[in-house]
Parts: sequence; C-alpha cells; structure tokens
Amino acid sequence: MFRRLALLTVAFASLCAAADKTPVTVYMYSEYIDPAIPAEFEKATGYPLRIEVYEAAEDMLAKLRAGAVNQYDVVVTTDAYVTQMIKLKLVKPLDQAKIPNRKNVDPQFANPSFDRDNKFSYPYQWGTVGLIYDTTKVPAGMAPTWKWLFDAKSQLNQFVLMDEARPMLGIGLKLGGASMNSRDPKQVKAAADLLIAVKGSPKCLGFDGGVGGKNKVLAGQAIAAVCYNGDAVRAVLEKKELAYSTCEGSNIWVDVMLVTSQAPNSDGANAFINYVLDAQVAAKISNFNHYATPVAAAMPFIAADDKTNRVIYPDAATMKTLEYLEDLDKDTRLHAEAWTAVKSH
Amino acid sequence: MKSTLVIDGKPTNRLRLWLSGLGLVGAGLLWLSCFLIGPLLALSLLAFASRGDYGDIIWQFNLENVWRMVGFGTFGWVPDNLLIIGRSVVLATITTSLCLALGFPLAFWIADRDRRWRVLLIAIVMVPACVNLVIRTYAWQLILGNHAPPAVFAQWAGFIPADAALYPGQAAVYLGMISAMLPFAVLPLYTSVERLDWSVVEAARDLYGGPWRTFRHGILAQVTPGLIAATILTLIPSLGMFVVSDLLGGAKYMLVGNLIQQQFGAAADWPFGAMLGLGLVVASLVSLLILLRWGSREGRI
Amino acid sequence: MKRLPRGVGVLAIVSIAVLYLPLVAVMALSFNATRHGQSWGGFTWSWYAKLFNNEAVLNAATNSAIVAVTSTSLATVIGTLLAIGLRRLPLGRWGRTSADVIINLPTVTPDILLAAALVVAYGIFRSVVAHFSPESKFFDPGLTTLIIGHVTFQVSFVAVVVGARLKAIGNEQFEAARDLFASTWGVWRRIILPQLAPGIVGGALLAFTLSLDDFVVSFFISGPSSTTLPVLIYASVKRGVTPEIHALSTLIVALTMIAILSIAILNRPRMTKE
Repeated sequence: MFRRLALLTVAFASLCAAADKTPVTVYMYSEYIDPAIPAEFEKATGYPLRIEVYEAAEDMLAKLRAGAVNQYDVVVTTDAYVTQMIKLKLVKPLDQAKIPNRKNVDPQFANPSFDRDNKFSYPYQWGTVGLIYDTTKVPAGMAPTWKWLFDAKSQLNQFVLMDEARPMLGIGLKLGGASMNSRDPKQVKAAADLLIAVKGSPKCLGFDGGVGGKNKVLAGQAIAAVCYNGDAVRAVLEKKELAYSTCEGSNIWVDVMLVTSQAPNSDGANAFINYVLDAQVAAKISNFNHYATPVAAAMPFIAADDKTNRVIYPDAATMKTLEYLEDLDKDTRLHAEAWTAVKSH
Repeated sequence: MKSTLVIDGKPTNRLRLWLSGLGLVGAGLLWLSCFLIGPLLALSLLAFASRGDYGDIIWQFNLENVWRMVGFGTFGWVPDNLLIIGRSVVLATITTSLCLALGFPLAFWIADRDRRWRVLLIAIVMVPACVNLVIRTYAWQLILGNHAPPAVFAQWAGFIPADAALYPGQAAVYLGMISAMLPFAVLPLYTSVERLDWSVVEAARDLYGGPWRTFRHGILAQVTPGLIAATILTLIPSLGMFVVSDLLGGAKYMLVGNLIQQQFGAAADWPFGAMLGLGLVVASLVSLLILLRWGSREGRI
Repeated sequence: MKRLPRGVGVLAIVSIAVLYLPLVAVMALSFNATRHGQSWGGFTWSWYAKLFNNEAVLNAATNSAIVAVTSTSLATVIGTLLAIGLRRLPLGRWGRTSADVIINLPTVTPDILLAAALVVAYGIFRSVVAHFSPESKFFDPGLTTLIIGHVTFQVSFVAVVVGARLKAIGNEQFEAARDLFASTWGVWRRIILPQLAPGIVGGALLAFTLSLDDFVVSFFISGPSSTTLPVLIYASVKRGVTPEIHALSTLIVALTMIAILSIAILNRPRMTKE
C-alpha cells in the first residue's frame, strides 16, 4: 500500500513540475523581501520564485539538519551561522560563473572572514543592533549611552532588552572592555553577572524580540529598547520623537545568501543570488526593508532619505565601534551556559 | 476481574482476551512503536553522545550530560538548571490548580444545563483553542497594554504609574496560562461530571451533611477518573510550555521548555537537549504513574 | 434541576469570559486601521480584502485544515480502539504500568523531542522505502509527514479522555446489560457507545485543537509546500502579528461558531433521556 501511495505522490509531483521551469525556493526571515520581486524574478529568469519564512536563524539551522536540506534552494541567514553551516555540509560552493553580478559587491563585504573568497555566500543586507529611545524622555543634551540600561544610577525608567543571547552578552562584554566574541570564561561570566543585575532592576521590563521592544517604545510603555536598526527606521517614520543609536559600540551583522547542499534547483539558486546582486534589484530590496545594501553599485538607486540616514549607513567613526559576531565553535557552550545563568537567576 | 475473568459481563479466557485486546490496540501500538517509542529509544543513545565543535554529534558515549543536567558546567557547579526546573514545576502546579478550581464549576454548570445546551456549551469552551495560542497571547498583551481600558482604569485609580501596562508580571502570566489550559481541564472533567450519579450525592448529603464531606465522598470519588485525566492534560503540557511566560512575563526567567529549545537551537547541542528532554519525560512519567495509582485507589472508595 | 450553589454559575461565566476576552481583542484588531494595533485608528474592512489576496496565508490555512481534519479522524479511531482494547487485556501489575506509560508517552514528551523522534523515524523509513522505490517521496517533508506526526501526539490525548470516560462507566453496566442482551456487539452499540460518545467527541475536539495549534512538531516535519498556519504565524511574529492573521482568526472563530450553532439547532433532541 505504501508503494502505491508513493507512486501516486510521485505522479502528482511530476505533474506539478511539468509547468515550465522548476521553482526556486528561498528560505528567509519574514517580510524581508519586496513582495514585487517574485514576479519580476520569474519574468527575468523564467524560474518561479517561492519565498518561505522562518523566525530565528537557529530554528532554520535545526530544521535543515533535521532533513529539510533538500527542500530549499537558497537560504538567507545571518553571518554568525555560516561557519557552522559549512562545517555541517548543509551548503555547497557557489557556481561563480553564473554570478557575474558579484562584481557589484562592496569590497567591504566581499571576502569576509567566515567565507574567504565568497566560496559559499554573497551578502544580502546588513545592519546593526542598537538602542531605540524616546528623545523627549531621556536626559537632555546627553549622548545616547548603554549606561541608560546597564548602569544602576543612570537607568531609564522602563526599558526593554533584546531576547537574543549573543548580541546581549556581546554588549555586556563590550562594556567590560572585552570583545563580543570573547572566549575567556571570566569575561563572559562578568558580562552575565552584569545582565543579571540589569534584568533584576524594577526598571527593566524584561526581554523581548526586537519588534516587541520597539512596539513598547512606540506605545510609550518603555522609554528605550534594544532592537535592530531597520525596525528603528520604521518606528521613527511612525513617531518623530524616537531616535536610534549604537551607543558606545555594538553588533554589526550581514545577512548572506547560501545554496543548500542538496538544492533541488542549483541553477535557479545561483540565478537568484545573481539577480539579487543586480544594482537595481538590490536597491529595490533595501528601499523596501530600510536596511543597508552591501551592493555598492546599488547606491545611486537608494532612496535619498535612506542614503543619508546615519541609522542605516553609520559614519566611519561609528563603524569602528561595531563588531561582527563570529562562530565560537567549542566555546558556543560557554556563551550558552552564561545565557542560561542570565535567564535563571 | 482478576480471578473470574469476566469482561463486558461475559465469562471468557485469557487467550481470547489477549487476542481481542491486541486486535483493538494493534493499530495504536504499532503506530506509537514506529513513530515514537522506537525513535525515542534511539534518542536516548544520543543523550549520552557529545557535541562536536560545530554542533555535529560525536558518538562517544559518556555520562557528562547527566552531570551537566544537575548543574556541573564551565563555571563549576551552579544552581541554574535546578532553579529553572523548580520554577517550571511551580508554574505548572499553580496553573493546574487554578484550572481545576475554575474547571470544576464550569464542568458542573455545563452538566447542569438542558441536554441540548450541553454539547453546545462544551463546544463553546473549546472554540477559543481553535485560535492560535501565540495570537491569543499577543491579544492578552494588547488587553493588558497601557492604552487599553483595564490599564487606563488602574492608572486612574493609582494602582500603577501613568503610561504603565498591566504586563509583564506574574498575574498576567497566570491569566494567560489559564486561558490557554482551561479548555484542556474542562473537557475531561465534564465527561466525568456529566454522568455523575446524583442519588449518591443525595445519599452523601443525608449521611454526612457538611458540604465538604458531601463533595469528597459523594462527588469526588465519582469523578476521580476525569480529575486525573484533567490533571494530566493540564499539568504535563504546562510543564513544557514557555510561550505564555515569555510574552506575558517579560522572558526574564527560563523555563524547562526554553532550556531544551536552547540546546536544539542557539547552543546547537542536540545530545544535551536530548538528555534534558528525556529527563523531563522520565520525571513526568513518574509523577503520572503516582497520580494514576492514587486515582485507582481513590476510585474504589 | 440539581441545585448547584449559586457561586458555581458566576464562576462558570467568569471562566468563559476569560476564554473569550482575547478573541474579542483579536476581532477588534481585525477591523482596526492601525497596522500594529497599539491604538484605534478607525474601522476598516481592508485587512479582510488583503487576506483574500494573500496566497501564503490562504495556503497555510488550507494545509492546516487538511492536516487537522485528516489527523483528527485517524487519531480518534486509533485512540478510541486503544483505550477500549487496553481495558480488555488481562495485564498484570507491570503490564498495566507499561500500558500506562505507552499510552501517555506522547503527552509527556516535550514537543521538541517529539519532533526529533519523528525526524529520526522518517529518516529510517525514507531509507527503507528508498530501497524498494528510489523515487518515492512519501516520507519527505510534506502533508503526509505532518499528518503522521500529528496523529502520533493526538492518539494519546484521545485515549486518555476516552479511557477516563470508560473507567467512569464501570463494569456494572456491562454486567447488567449482559443479562438482557445476547451479543457483545449489542452491548457495545446500544449501551456503551452512546455513553462513551461524549468522551470520543471530547477527545476528538481536543485532538483537533492540538493539531491546529501545533508549531514545534509541524515546523520540523513540514516542507515548503506544506507550511501550516502556526508555522507561518511564528515566522511572522518577528515582525509583529499582521492584521491579516487577526482577520483570519476572526473568520475561523465565526465559522466554527456558525457550524456549532447550526448543528445545535438541526440536532434538536428527539427524546430526552433524563
């Protein structure tokens, strides 16, 4: 009976596939691509484009490992996960000949430390983690600082932390003068202790996803929240009194595009990556998301307001204070245990 | 039943019982063996393996994960995991008690309606569960939000400062937990209460008089199977649940569910995740068997 | 009728109110013109219009409905038979304990572990099936794997609820009935099944809502063409719940209500047993 059912399934699948070219399935964060792109991509390349969404990179990784790796062609995810995906053989090298638009990539984002020579990945968008705050309710004339959250004496009354281990511990580490990627148990423990003290304060509303924190600031329930810069740009459009800063220093991230090792449609996957690296397309995506584009050639087509917005494109001095999160291999456990400590005391 | 072997009022022998019983449970048993029991046994091997540098699995068996579960880690022994387990147990126990305390009156009230209304009412209790739990929990955020009437009233009355909301907080968490778990308590309670023999209750009332003893001997003894089922269906799922606590409690504290999720997610430490998960399974099974034994003793009164 | 204390009715109404308050909020939000719902921006139908143009949400809703209906039907049959059969087996003390363990195993297994178990099972079955027909995609992530997975955890909930009802019916009924009727089937059909029905319906209702609400298991065993509603909702939570989802939830509640009410009206009791 299984065999007969299996045959039926196969027959059905081949019926579906008979229509034109095989689709390209892209797995990415939600609301992360202009909804007009799929139709335009199909027009340009002939491949229908199917967008599937996930909430957190770690969920996506777990799902691919659990056997779904042959279900998706392209995965868009955050830089810190790339090393792991390569080591676990979840992704395969790109077909560079099919990606002529790679010349458009900003040299700053080409050849990253986690993927030398862009063997596996090209960047999609980049951004920062920072503090969104209500300018009318913070001490006047003071430059935004992490002390508003982390220093008992200057704490704002009602603030929200981000419910993500690495960026939050990272900010704690940076405040202690260490690297966000510290592997020193003493430094990591100190950062965890700092966070335990911060969350214990009655002024802390707890941890929330980036959007949740931002919404609490928008509603006036909190004065400040840790969030992503793209969400902050949207919030400022809704309420002029809000502002965003990476304070003394924070996390910079790049989301990259990879091809899964068992992609049903490798050609289509490479075509998609090439398409996104096109100047006009990259600009279109950034104008929709309000995140920065890593495609240098796209800059002329970026909306004027966004291009001059320091929240999206920080100045050179700010860039120096930002740090990428790296894969911590065996010390992943150190950070995981520190986060458990933060969340249990 | 043990000595005379009578089932459905009909004398029979062991062989026939085995054959007919196995025929009935066959499909379920096969299904569960293929898709749950077998794989869980395989996962119990995984629990004794360890994590490679990149989240891969190293198949060398040792007891390290057992020690880690009770708190030995990079920072020496820490009470973290025990705190997390303790908090989860407290949350689940209080939630279950509250759900039973509200579920009993609701079940009795429904069972007391006209026959025609009962099915309708029990369905009405279940309808909210058709809407996704996350959606309902976010809805609570809005109901308790700082611009919604309850908070505005509390601000006006001076219970909370201006601009403050009624969440995150413990009260909000329990409100959310009740609205998530109550249907699961009411259903089994109702199925027992609905066929309650009220003549026994009358007799108990005549014999004992007091409302508590009437309830204890007249009612409780009759509805014990439903009570046990309700406890299981509420207690166990709320032990592993963490969405409500994260969204309405401010995510300041991890629960067991978060901890297990963390291992399969951010920490990419599947062996430790499997160990924690199996630990939870064993603990739940033990408490469940105790409940069932207690129930079958109570049921005989 | 049976003279319950007055407080009981009050508590019951309060409980139902607690259950329905979030639904009222969801309904209100589905008509709210403001996107993120923090304040009232005026009445609008536009989210409903957008919902019917949102292919992803509609697909997910269809998938959820297919999976929930199919898996609930299967689980109700299997779970009820399991509960009835276990009562017949002449098990000793340890046999009874193992039966309790097996029947409750899906309830006590954390979602994520259940998902991992299914992933392991599908992996094994995939290689076995591939041996016979290499092209088979039967155990690839899709609706089939979702239905199998949902049945796996639903069975236990059905069996527990039906089992509780069965225990409550007790042996006396069988024995009394046996004196009057001849066949075992007759006893079951005329006496036991009608009494068991509320348990079966209750178990099925529970199973149905569990299937509709399941995220963790579904996330791991679904594929790109079989995304269910909770999987879609959790993914979009990162950007905040969209009003389209609220509109859809409102429609689901409205449809369920209409269905329940029409069943209640059509199904007027022919004869009351009380």
